[in-house]
Formats: sequence, structure tokens, C-alpha cells
Amino acid sequence: MAIEVNKCVGCADCVVACQIENNVPLGYSRDWIMEHVTGTYPVLSMHFESQRCNHCDDTPCVRTCPTGASFVAEGGIVKVTHNDCIGCGACIEACPYDARYFHPDGYVDKCTFCDHRVAEGLDPACVSVCPTTCMHFGDLDNPDSEISKLIKSRENFTLIPEAGTAPQIFYLK
Amino acid sequence: MKEYILDTTRDIHGLYPHVHIWGFPIAAYLFLGGLAAGILLFATIYYLKGKADDMPFTVKIAPIFTFIIIMLGLVLLVFDLHHKLYVFKLFTTFRIESPMSWGAWTLVGVSIFSLMWPLSYIDDIEKYLHERGWKRLDVVTIFIRNLEHNWLIPRFMIMFFRKHRTFFAYILLVLSIILGIYTGILLSAFNAHPLWNNPILGPLFLTSGISTGSAFVMWLSNNKKERRLMSTIDMALIAIELFFIIHMIMGLQAGPEAFKLAGGLFLGGPFTVTFWVLFVGFGLVLPFILEAFELKGHHIPPALPAILVLIGGLLFRIIMVQAGQVSEYPF
Repeated sequence: MAIEVNKCVGCADCVVACQIENNVPLGYSRDWIMEHVTGTYPVLSMHFESQRCNHCDDTPCVRTCPTGASFVAEGGIVKVTHNDCIGCGACIEACPYDARYFHPDGYVDKCTFCDHRVAEGLDPACVSVCPTTCMHFGDLDNPDSEISKLIKSRENFTLIPEAGTAPQIFYLK
Repeated sequence: MKEYILDTTRDIHGLYPHVHIWGFPIAAYLFLGGLAAGILLFATIYYLKGKADDMPFTVKIAPIFTFIIIMLGLVLLVFDLHHKLYVFKLFTTFRIESPMSWGAWTLVGVSIFSLMWPLSYIDDIEKYLHERGWKRLDVVTIFIRNLEHNWLIPRFMIMFFRKHRTFFAYILLVLSIILGIYTGILLSAFNAHPLWNNPILGPLFLTSGISTGSAFVMWLSNNKKERRLMSTIDMALIAIELFFIIHMIMGLQAGPEAFKLAGGLFLGGPFTVTFWVLFVGFGLVLPFILEAFELKGHHIPPALPAILVLIGGLLFRIIMVQAGQVSEYPF
């Protein structure tokens, strides 16, 4: 996934779309908006980041899971098998992005990149509703895909690369 | 019309402003695991050194408590799970990358063998308790005795444990070391929290666990020689612990920004007083001084330094669990 930081206006449509699409319980969210303000008054600049699970290449959450409930599905999407999850919280502690939470039913829940939609060839809910089209979704393993070209052509950054998780959401400057 | 408020910012309980999903039960469990590991380590080492009769409490009596301690820890652990009914899933798989998975299997091993160990000494335990006048505990030994005489299997099992005690001692020794280290490694496996993610934490937790084990023996033993030895060992362990703590803080301060921030929690941050005054001061330095005075011949109740070390050990784990969750990568 790639997100153009300068196009994002922080409307949080992605958050609401996700909550509705995935039936996320009230008071919880799988994605969220982070507001960054830098500079000293009056010279200030602000940008928004729509954040969610980074579906890392090197997954600390999957590594620490004692039951194998957390796993990397084919295509690189990190998922949780609810009925294998004991709710120990190891993956929540392991995630530097705090992308996981306890569902009120006890198991751990997180962003799935709307894999049910992706399987049908659709974009994830958050991407599909973005009014400024700042989000792009595609196959990063394919060097000829639109998203791979976009990431290659633009200056970008990832979140907390120093944690060593090789995050797979790229923020385009 | 019903109105719902949709949250567009993160306001999930336990995640904001800091991850706070592990609390007292986990800290207490880590403490109990370390304590059990310490007790078993001394029991097996002194047994293998052939000092079972010189140090009856360490080798024969103290391990009775380990099974109870581990069961208490397990109850706390299961109590803390959010999807409790699925706890059996821990034992349907073994994942070598996950310290929690090995911990679960180690605990199974330790709890089985720590039950066998005192059973193999059942005659000595009965004699010991009788000599010390702990008559109330006779009920337990008499119960086991009755089992032995009424059913053939327990007798057979006890004879089997007795015959292969050395073999069990080696297994328990290895298991107790794994258990002691695992309680520290469990935390250092989480690379989202710089305070936990430091390599000295495993040895520090192991040392602290063994120290609480020696304090436990020192507290409850009636044998003066045994108490003196445990007191000396505990002093050495406290010195090692202090060294590791300084090493840990220095390592954090010399690290990248996130590690400096983590070290800062103890250097002027919210955990400064609890860590340095309550844990280092009252949980390490004060018992060290008291033990030193006691060894020099001053009269000091042995329970005092022992209880301080035990409370200090528990406090240390509470602080590390809390502070670790506060320490995060800024983003």
C-alpha cells in the first residue's frame, strides 16, 4: 500500500469505511489518522498519515505468537485465526505500531487489508472510499504493478524502520 | 433515531496513550516463575553435589513449595488471558520462535517434575516435619502414605522416582535454568518496547529469580549452616544484580534515541523513585547490608532481609512490566 501524505486531508473516511466494512465494534478501530505538526509558530506545517497494520515483511507479531494464530497469508497479508488465539497479548506487545487490539470477544483483531474484497479484485474499503485518492493498493512483489512504479518514482518513507520490521506501507512525500 | 459516535482517532482502552494490556498478574507470574526456578536450582545443585543430608531444607523441603508456586503462577497467567477457553491451543503446537510457547511447555515439564521430586523424598519430609513439630502438615503426608498403602501404583511410582533421582535432578536443573531465563527473555522478545528489548534483561531476571529463591530458603530454613550459606550466595547474587542494572542503564543511555528515552524512565522519568529507592534501595542494598551484618555476627532476624529481597523481586517485575509498556518507539 502507498499513501500520498500531501494529498491526505485527514477526513477519516478510511476509518469509518473500515469500521462499517469489517463490522468493527464501537469504540475500536483498525485504522486511524495521525496528525503531525512541525515547526515553530507562525511557521508551521502539518500533514496527516492514515495508519494501520503495516503488514510487515519481518513480523514480530507472528514470531511471538505462541499458538500460531497470527500468520502471514499468501500474498503477505498478516492475519489472525480467531479460534487459535488465546488472547495472551504477546502480539500486541510486539507490534511497534500498536496496530492490534483485543476484540471485546477476547481474541486479537487487526487490519486484514480487506482480504475478502481483495480476493474479488476490489481495493480495501479504506482505499476505495478515499475522496482525495491519496491511497493506492496493489502487489508490491510485481515490479511492473502500478504501485511498485509509484513507490519507485516518488520519495517515500515508512514508519519506524528502525524497529527492523520492514513495513510494507509506504508514505509518499 | 439512535445516534452512534464513530471514533476516527485511536481511543482504544489499553492502547492509548500507551500500551497497557499487561498488569499485575503478569508481573506476579514472572516473579513466581523466577522464585520457583531459584528454589529448584538450589535443590538440584546441592543434591548433585551430594549435600542432600547437610542441607535438608534446600534439597528436600523447599521443592514442596515449587509445585504450589507454579500452579499459582499458572492460575494468574490463565486469569490474564482474554480468550481463556482457548488456552489449550498453547499445547496443540510448539513454536520455536515464540518464547511464550517454550515457556508454556517448560512449565508443563517443571510442574510434573517438581511434583515428582518431593514425592521421592516423602519419608524424609515426614520425618523432618515431625522433628520440627509442624504437626498440622502431617495430614498431608499421612494422606500420601495412605495412598501408597492402599494403591500399589503410588508406591511403585515413588520407588521409581527415588531410584532415578539423579536423572530427575539433571532434568530439573536444566528446566529451572530455562524457566529462570525465559521469564526475562519473554519480555526482551518484544522489539516494540526498547526497555524490554535489551539483551541484559534475561540474565538480570535469572539472577533476580535465583536471588529470590535463596531468600526463600534463607527465610524458612531452620538450619543455621544452611541459612549462612544462602545468605552468602544471596549477597553475591545481589552484587551481580546491581552490576547488571548499571550495565542495563548504561547500555540504554548509549543506544539510539528510543533506548535513551527508555533509560530516561529511570533517570528522572516517572519510575525513578520506585526503581532506585524502593527496588534498588530497599530490595537490594538494604538486604545486602543486613545480610553482611548478620554474617559478621550481629543479631538480625533472617526473615527481614529475605522478605525485603522477595518484595524487591516482585516490585522489580511490576516496574519492568509497567515501564516497558510505556517505552515505545516515537512515531
